[in-house]
Amino acid sequence: MSATPKAISEMFRDRFGDRVAVGETFSGIVTLEVDTDAWLEVCRALRDEEDFSYEQLTDLCGLDYLSYGQSEWDTTDASTDGFGRAVEGMGPGRFDWAGRPEARNVKQRFGVVVHLLSFRHNRRLRIRCHAPDEGMPIVPSLVEIWSSANWYEREAFDLFGIIFEGHPDLRRIMTDYGFTGHPFRKDFPLIGNVEVRYDSQKKRVVYEPVQIEPRVGVPRVLRDDSRYKTDEVDQAADARAEQIAAEDTAANGRKS
Amino acid sequence: MGMINPVPLDSVDDILRPNADANPLLDRGMVTTSLDALLNWARTGSMWPMTFGLACCAVEMMQAGAARYDLDRFGVIFRPSPRQSDVMIVAGTLTNKMAPAFRKVYDQMSNPKWVISMGSCANGGGYYHYAYSVTRGCDRVVPVDVYVPGCPPTAEALIYGILQLQAKIRRETTIAR
Repeated sequence: MSATPKAISEMFRDRFGDRVAVGETFSGIVTLEVDTDAWLEVCRALRDEEDFSYEQLTDLCGLDYLSYGQSEWDTTDASTDGFGRAVEGMGPGRFDWAGRPEARNVKQRFGVVVHLLSFRHNRRLRIRCHAPDEGMPIVPSLVEIWSSANWYEREAFDLFGIIFEGHPDLRRIMTDYGFTGHPFRKDFPLIGNVEVRYDSQKKRVVYEPVQIEPRVGVPRVLRDDSRYKTDEVDQAADARAEQIAAEDTAANGRKS
Repeated sequence: MGMINPVPLDSVDDILRPNADANPLLDRGMVTTSLDALLNWARTGSMWPMTFGLACCAVEMMQAGAARYDLDRFGVIFRPSPRQSDVMIVAGTLTNKMAPAFRKVYDQMSNPKWVISMGSCANGGGYYHYAYSVTRGCDRVVPVDVYVPGCPPTAEALIYGILQLQAKIRRETTIAR
């Protein structure tokens, strides 16, 4: 039963040919890249066929590749205590709705990643599927195959705006009633668009445009604090100690 | 309710035996006190909190109610219904989605009522101050009497907050204005 990741990868290549691309293996789990066209067919085979028999879908998540590979901070030189970080941020999270970033040369921005588990073979698998259209990302729903996908797909729809074709009940699951936008998209401002307060005239909780400015706390390392002076102090103390020791030996030598 | 205090704080602590040494009525088994002091004594002795655990602070609130610290000693008995509660302990992160329900529960409590805001998130958003889904402090939705700082505050800190609220209630006047 303990087939190596390499052998498992071969198995997938033999069975599915060019309908799947076998990606990297991370922590012993093989990754398959599948197109939306073959998504349902491949998943059904992964569940039903004896060699695979992935009976359970353990996780389904949305993906957003906007600003993929862009770093949040400019990291300068590092000491043993931490990194020096610039306070000017570049990555997502520190903008309001008007200044949100545009997608630049991102191919297939949205996608879905699924983790499967086979009890029979004691084996896990990661499969990914990217939606072809960025404006309206559509991926076929897996609810027919694994019913545990139901709420996961609602979550991915809520947070990323990925539409699952064939889902029986695709509505928001976590965000506020009447919420607009998809908060886990990289171009969604971290501070959001609305905030609430109680209006004593209207006797109810009202929504208003967000008042505060976006801000992301950036940890900073102060270069000139005492920690960086200990070396000099220590060296001075060491030099002084050596000097005293030398004087002592010289004095003792004279005595004996 | 006015916050003018006709009696100094110390003298209301033992309201059933006021001026115990000098009062001749005590010898005859009688007690005299002000009605305000009696009301405040009753209120501080039975502050039943509405259980409003929202996040990890609720675990500390449970600790305060459990055997070691035992809030029952202070007459603080958690109630599952706002109709039976005097105090609401807001223990945890108040989200925008929860805010209308939270206000509704507060409105359902009968007067007089008090609110203890427990932990950074309830005090002002805390860790989630810049988040899209979190109310930046529960005082945006309800009036708050006591803020307990911490993330989360210890059970001792919550009890200290409850005692502070008791001290605040003792200074309230219902009859004398």
